[in-house]
Amino acid sequence: MKLLTKMMHLQEQHGAVTDTMLRELSKSEGVPLHRLEGLRGFYPVFRRTPGSKTHVQVCRDIVCLMKGGPQFCQKVKSALTGEPGVEIEEVSCVGRCDSAPAATINDVPVTGSVENIVAYATGKKPLPAHAPATPRRWPTDPYTNEKEHYGVLKKFLRPGDDRQRDAVIKILKEADLRGLGGAAFPTGMKWEFTRKAPGTPKYIICNADESEPGTFKDRVILEELPHLLIEAMILGGWMIGAKEGIIYIRHEYAKEKQALQAAIDKARGAGALGKKIFGSEVDFDLQIFISPGGYIMGEETALLEALEDKRGEPRNKPPFPTDHGLWGKPTLMNNVETFSAIPIILDRGASWWAAQGKGNYKGLKYMCVSGDVAKPGVYCVPWGTTVDELLTLCGGIPEGKGLHAFSPGGASTNFLPASKRQTALDFKAMQEAGSSLGTGAMVFMAEGRDVLQLAISEVKFFRNESCGKCVPCRVGSHKAVDLVEAALAGKPAPQLVHLLKELNDTLAQTSICGLGQVAMAPLMSVISYFPEEALPKLEGSGRRK
Amino acid sequence: MADDNRKLIKLTIDGKPVQVPEGTSIWDAARQLGIDIPVLCHSPRMRPVGVCRMCVVDIGQRTMAASCVRPCEEGMNVDASSAKVDLHRKMLTSLLLSDYPEYSAREMSTGNDQLLALAKKYAIHDIPFADGATGLPRGADMSSPVIAVDHQACILCDKCIRGCDELQHNDVITRTGKGYAARIAFDLNNPMGESTCVACGECMAVCPTGALTNKSVFAEM
Repeated sequence: MKLLTKMMHLQEQHGAVTDTMLRELSKSEGVPLHRLEGLRGFYPVFRRTPGSKTHVQVCRDIVCLMKGGPQFCQKVKSALTGEPGVEIEEVSCVGRCDSAPAATINDVPVTGSVENIVAYATGKKPLPAHAPATPRRWPTDPYTNEKEHYGVLKKFLRPGDDRQRDAVIKILKEADLRGLGGAAFPTGMKWEFTRKAPGTPKYIICNADESEPGTFKDRVILEELPHLLIEAMILGGWMIGAKEGIIYIRHEYAKEKQALQAAIDKARGAGALGKKIFGSEVDFDLQIFISPGGYIMGEETALLEALEDKRGEPRNKPPFPTDHGLWGKPTLMNNVETFSAIPIILDRGASWWAAQGKGNYKGLKYMCVSGDVAKPGVYCVPWGTTVDELLTLCGGIPEGKGLHAFSPGGASTNFLPASKRQTALDFKAMQEAGSSLGTGAMVFMAEGRDVLQLAISEVKFFRNESCGKCVPCRVGSHKAVDLVEAALAGKPAPQLVHLLKELNDTLAQTSICGLGQVAMAPLMSVISYFPEEALPKLEGSGRRK
Repeated sequence: MADDNRKLIKLTIDGKPVQVPEGTSIWDAARQLGIDIPVLCHSPRMRPVGVCRMCVVDIGQRTMAASCVRPCEEGMNVDASSAKVDLHRKMLTSLLLSDYPEYSAREMSTGNDQLLALAKKYAIHDIPFADGATGLPRGADMSSPVIAVDHQACILCDKCIRGCDELQHNDVITRTGKGYAARIAFDLNNPMGESTCVACGECMAVCPTGALTNKSVFAEM
């Protein structure tokens, strides 16, 4: 954290991290030059030389392509050509899909339309201020006002009494809470493993680095319910015996970071953080680490590498972070949404949580909805709500169009046809339907949408965000995009679909981490579920009778 | 040896039973049985990194395991040589070959280019992927008096990096950039000849391809 924090500070102060600065840093920190170069070259926040006064970063991913048109980035670029002091860069999803198309100008998000973005970039409109969100009442918040905050913590925080810890694990297991960042690993088990793992000190980390196209639910939780995240992390620290917690937040969430920091300060003021929490023997404190950028840091071991001042490249697993995490020590890592569900589960019990779901499904789920939908945004719905019900809740598809396809859980999840709209929002149900719930990033696609093009944009996202560590992902994702682009240009490789299937199989089976394993998944799903649409375009119309 | 007290693990590789001390990698256990699992990024002298993925084996899980980094587990049933495993190795070799230059200085001099050896082993003639080597877009670095750097022939196996930083403690080489644009670099991405490289030659010795070779050999090409 130390080196990267220093480098980010230099970047912020000087607009670049130059060779001269790195030579000085190398001397003062006693680290070889190559290590600093490895970091500077890897993380997108760093520049070798200062750029223009106005830095416009335009999103190139699925929802912005839908809302801003396939030429969205080009349109912004053309409109700003020749504009003095403005430089434009295409970047991966900036997490503002609910008001797409989106861009950032000097790290301030601007959205809505090409015209709007251009007006901000040229200074015709002053950049929007960081206004705090209007507080909303969310069903996973057990508290009706600020005075009640950290009540659950007070109830459970009895040091030296392991029965209280046992009780927490039992409730989490009974509630069947799972990793809501998309991996669906049982949270109670993860807490138990880390608690039992030998080695000290232990660490607790919140993964607030959601960056998958279509995903922005954690952004809303961070801004509107930070006290729940903080409370759960203190409980987690008490559970495993960690004194230090880190919230790893994506660079693009500057506004949300402010809200989170304010909540941390408040918690400290209230005695919920720091030494002897609420008069107990428990010491615990939290710090925020802002990511120097890159989707891959959402992969938990890449995140750990970043915190250790290394290139954020995923580790080979096993060992897993519960045993061998930050600095090789047992580390409890959960996603923002997972942590923030814990206070209410502990407050009201596992059976209350279960009753919040529909039928046999347990609990509540934050869905981030975008694409062709009247009211995009974050919705907290009962687990087991159907895709169709979610669509209705979000006002349906505009202009009276029908549903063509949906991507239920982010760029890594298979596209499904509209005929699967009765599928329940649930890990298992969505898997049985041929996809997965992933992060809960639902992108609706109306009739008339080119699902092949949109699926290819997802593969490009993974190619763009590959860390480059292992061969299948680094080279395979690149060649996969080459293959489909050649096909769309009328030059398909012989037996293209067979080749894509074999390539996908190798990526899925041999890549180190989830990124490479799923890089081609949306494309393959479109070939499987929309063959009439995809195959003629991929294999050339001549092959079709 | 510190290993003496380690617990023994029993497993089978390609149907053959083997017993190894706890912590032994599948790759090492296979060697004991005389099963040679192909690998580009590993050597017994080095800390394994599992990046080339050529050494993947089927252990009956959701994904394949890189045998150089995966420790043996009790009762493991490892398939190290099946047609399924070979298909992946062949695909990985094809991917690397699609960006590989026509001439490898290593192959032309000492004849031991390990990537080209795999190409022969898997009888790869037609590569179905876009040719990434035409015009040698990744370039070369001839600034060192001793070592020729052909970035086009680099497969980012990390061996030179470990050789330089971990075996020799010269601390010069890293990876810079990211994804498909990642490449090896010296100091602050300086030409090798202007870096703190002392030309010890370890990187050339461990490089499995034509990326790092003796300059006099490269010049003869």
